[in-house]
Amino acid sequence: MAITRRVLLTTAALTLPARFAAAETVVKWLHIEANPAQVKIWEEVARDFEAKNPGVKIEMSFLENEAYKAKAPTLLQSKDRPHIIYSWAGGVLKSQVEAGVLEDITNAVGDYKDRLSPAAVAAFTVDGHLYGLPHTVSQVGFMFNNELFAKAGVDGAKIATWDDLLEAVRKLKAASVTPIVVGGADKWPLHFYWTHLAVRIGGKAGFQAALKGENGGFEGPVFQRSGELFKQLVDMQPFQTGFLGFKNPDAVGYFGDGKASMILAISSFYHTQRALSASKNGIGDDKIGWFNFPTVPGGKGDPADTLGGMNGWLVTKGAPKEAVGFIKHFISEDVQKRLAAGNYIIPTYKGAESGLGSDFMRNIARNIAASKYHQNFYDQDLGPNVGRVVNDATAEIGGGTMTPKQAAKAIQDAYVQGN
Amino acid sequence: MSRIRLDGNLAFRTLFLLAAAIFVATPLLATVLGGFKTLGELRTNPFGLPHDWQWQNYTDILLSARYWTLLGNSLAIALLTVALTLITASMAAFVFAHLRFFGSDMLFAYITTGLLFPAATAILPLFIKVRDLGLLDSYFGIVLPQVAFGLAMSILLLRRFFRDLPPELLEAAVVDGCSYIGFFGHITLPLSRPILATVGTIVFVHSWNAYLVPLVMLNNDRLYPWPLGIMVYQGEYSSEWHLILAFITLTILPTVLLFVFAQKHIVAGLTAGAVKG
Amino acid sequence: MRTASRGRDTSKWAAILLFLPPALLLFSIFVVLPAGEAGWYSAFNWNGFGRPTRWIGFDNYRFVFDNRAFGTAIANNLLVIVVSLVVQLPLALTLALILAERFRGAVALRMLFFLPYILAEIATGMIFSFVYDGNYGLLAAIYGWFGAEAPHLLASPATAMPAILVVIVWKYFGFHMMLFIAALQGMDRGVVEAARIDGATGWQLQRHVVIPLLHPTIRLSVFFAVVGSLQLFDLVMPLTRGGPADSSHTIVSFLYTFGVMRMRVGFGSAVGVILFVICATFAFTYKRWFMRDE
Repeated sequence: MAITRRVLLTTAALTLPARFAAAETVVKWLHIEANPAQVKIWEEVARDFEAKNPGVKIEMSFLENEAYKAKAPTLLQSKDRPHIIYSWAGGVLKSQVEAGVLEDITNAVGDYKDRLSPAAVAAFTVDGHLYGLPHTVSQVGFMFNNELFAKAGVDGAKIATWDDLLEAVRKLKAASVTPIVVGGADKWPLHFYWTHLAVRIGGKAGFQAALKGENGGFEGPVFQRSGELFKQLVDMQPFQTGFLGFKNPDAVGYFGDGKASMILAISSFYHTQRALSASKNGIGDDKIGWFNFPTVPGGKGDPADTLGGMNGWLVTKGAPKEAVGFIKHFISEDVQKRLAAGNYIIPTYKGAESGLGSDFMRNIARNIAASKYHQNFYDQDLGPNVGRVVNDATAEIGGGTMTPKQAAKAIQDAYVQGN
Repeated sequence: MSRIRLDGNLAFRTLFLLAAAIFVATPLLATVLGGFKTLGELRTNPFGLPHDWQWQNYTDILLSARYWTLLGNSLAIALLTVALTLITASMAAFVFAHLRFFGSDMLFAYITTGLLFPAATAILPLFIKVRDLGLLDSYFGIVLPQVAFGLAMSILLLRRFFRDLPPELLEAAVVDGCSYIGFFGHITLPLSRPILATVGTIVFVHSWNAYLVPLVMLNNDRLYPWPLGIMVYQGEYSSEWHLILAFITLTILPTVLLFVFAQKHIVAGLTAGAVKG
Repeated sequence: MRTASRGRDTSKWAAILLFLPPALLLFSIFVVLPAGEAGWYSAFNWNGFGRPTRWIGFDNYRFVFDNRAFGTAIANNLLVIVVSLVVQLPLALTLALILAERFRGAVALRMLFFLPYILAEIATGMIFSFVYDGNYGLLAAIYGWFGAEAPHLLASPATAMPAILVVIVWKYFGFHMMLFIAALQGMDRGVVEAARIDGATGWQLQRHVVIPLLHPTIRLSVFFAVVGSLQLFDLVMPLTRGGPADSSHTIVSFLYTFGVMRMRVGFGSAVGVILFVICATFAFTYKRWFMRDE
């Protein structure tokens, strides 16, 4: 009886606001943040915005990262699509613009964009029109566990070249420490290896030549070599048992539990590894370390080059104008500083990075600031189809089912075929 | 049957049955019982009875709006699918069973081509179609394709049954001035309850378990039927298996109950129905 | 007389015009039209927005056949068929022969074996992803008894597909068993009794009398095993999603992953057309060659 009543009540609760609260403007905001601590702040930000804008309601909903990427193409075609969606910019954003599902917010944002990092804003600009606003940037590199490194006699600060990394893996294995954890089931964590190697080997010029189809495109020597070096690592079996079955959240939690000594991470994992660990504490500041992706001898890339994300929020076609108001509020100085102080993000609001709360994150912010070539994630940058193929092919190198040559060919074929 | 001869065989048979029964039952029992354990106990004692029954795993789910929303959606979609299928299929089957006209054979053959291929073959054009009709994120975006893809089978089964009804009935009714439509409503349908129940049950089970069509047509999680919901649940609780197992148990419970109570229709429908299809 | 016949005619056409269109319309709009459109769309490179404009002829079919994962998917579908024939069918037949007889517990066992068939594929897949889980699963526990570290079956390209095959047998053998039991119960007992009186016993009787009588049902069971294999999708998703490294795709999971998830309407439609051709060819030839008598 109690249950039935409860069902009736909840059903009523679910249907009521949608039907009878027509006077309110509802802004539907779809996010992919899995860290409850950060979501809590976001909720407060939303409530705060509602308080300042009577009659506006921010309705948050969540999809897990991979589920979101899988759903996005169908989601955007529904008339019930959310008004604000997450984006990694790049080619995926461009194809969404071409599909006509996004709102041009150039005028609505106005010169507010000047308060944000120009590089990040540029990433959300397509053909001179602004379609979204970035709220954070990130860097990919190796996050490590000092305690486990010490056990194997490895010094994280001294890993600078690819051979140093391989040597460290050898030592860790000898000391029975799982060297690296990776979420191979999601594929993109594996694509970081191949891509970052390409950033080191070919540099900016190498990537741009490939885009133009020069030097054999993505099948050329730069990318073949990236595959070969990646395979060299894979052949040492550096990953945890069953790595191809781990989704990224599982892998990050595994690192947070102290079960593996390294993870090729996005800098934001600094915080998520806590939330996803069994104890919810993860690896503390005293034990966590970071080294930039190792360089490759003879590589044309500048060691200061970085691979990483530029993430932000897009406004979909037909969204109420309050949606832009909300993302401006969300990327206001106060909120950016608050999130930076909690070490959740590297902020995009100019000057907000001074509020970063840990040495770890300050170091990341410095790396990104010093980088002259910040390469966006390939799987986003190259567009929905080609990006996915990069993930497929690099995961297959990881699984040993494709040779570096075959992988490079598959990617080039997809690139020629287009998105 | 000579007992002595069989006895040598009996041991083998018993062992074989026992092995098969263990193979089938173990995963199911472990799932139900796993839902009563803590995560820690699941790791040390995945097979046995729980030391300390965690009723809370189950009650938490039963008291959550989430579970009932999923079940309610599945139920609404399945019932709409069954109702629409029975109405449209029985009407068409009636025509194909009793009325001949120019092209009737061709039309019947046309419909039965539906047996040839699964919905998956045309899932992308189907998505585009449903989108163009403005039915994405609605029950009918799932119900209408499901009905359409179930029509061929349902019409075949119903037509066969309608034809097997005594033909004198129809003749007598027509002589009495009863129209075909009247005959359908007053005689055919009431006499066809068993086959309607069987077809209804098959369609219900298919809809209740369906995954691909809802997966493609729905984005709004308030409309999710349980197979979509449970996948999301697993994504969120990733390795908290005790909760996932409890959730699985509670979502398959309605199917098992239906099976227990409508056994006859399910077995007849799914096997004999398949034979005739 | 004439009015009666005219009245009858009106009544007939009223029924036809009222009763047929709903089914015909639904079927045409949601089954036939999309199937035809799959053929049309497969000639375009199209992301699903607006209308298709980038005509690329048969290229999508080439892309499909060039895709390594598609080859794997076809091979996996064949593997499922082989296992259905070599493992599942004999298992189902043996159990049916035993359980078709009346003894205490026979009905209960039939129901137990049939139960997996009515469970949703999604639930089944999830139950088995627990069974196979390297940390918490049943298999991990069994390895633990011997002090061994459990393999992560679903995480290795070499073992993922075999693990799925076990689940397939678990889920579907009961259905085939029921088919056989239904046939055995509908069988002419006279023939069997006559053979028994002639001195045929036990296995002999089964081998030379009962099984030949079951041939039509066996052909039917094979038919369902093949058609079922071609549609396999729901079970794969919770277990592996076609991974690791695209090693456990079926045709449909390949279509979903590479066509739907990436909204490559042309490419996905091409896969759909290929699947359609396989289904239709199989259904026609099988019915023609093996099920002629029915």
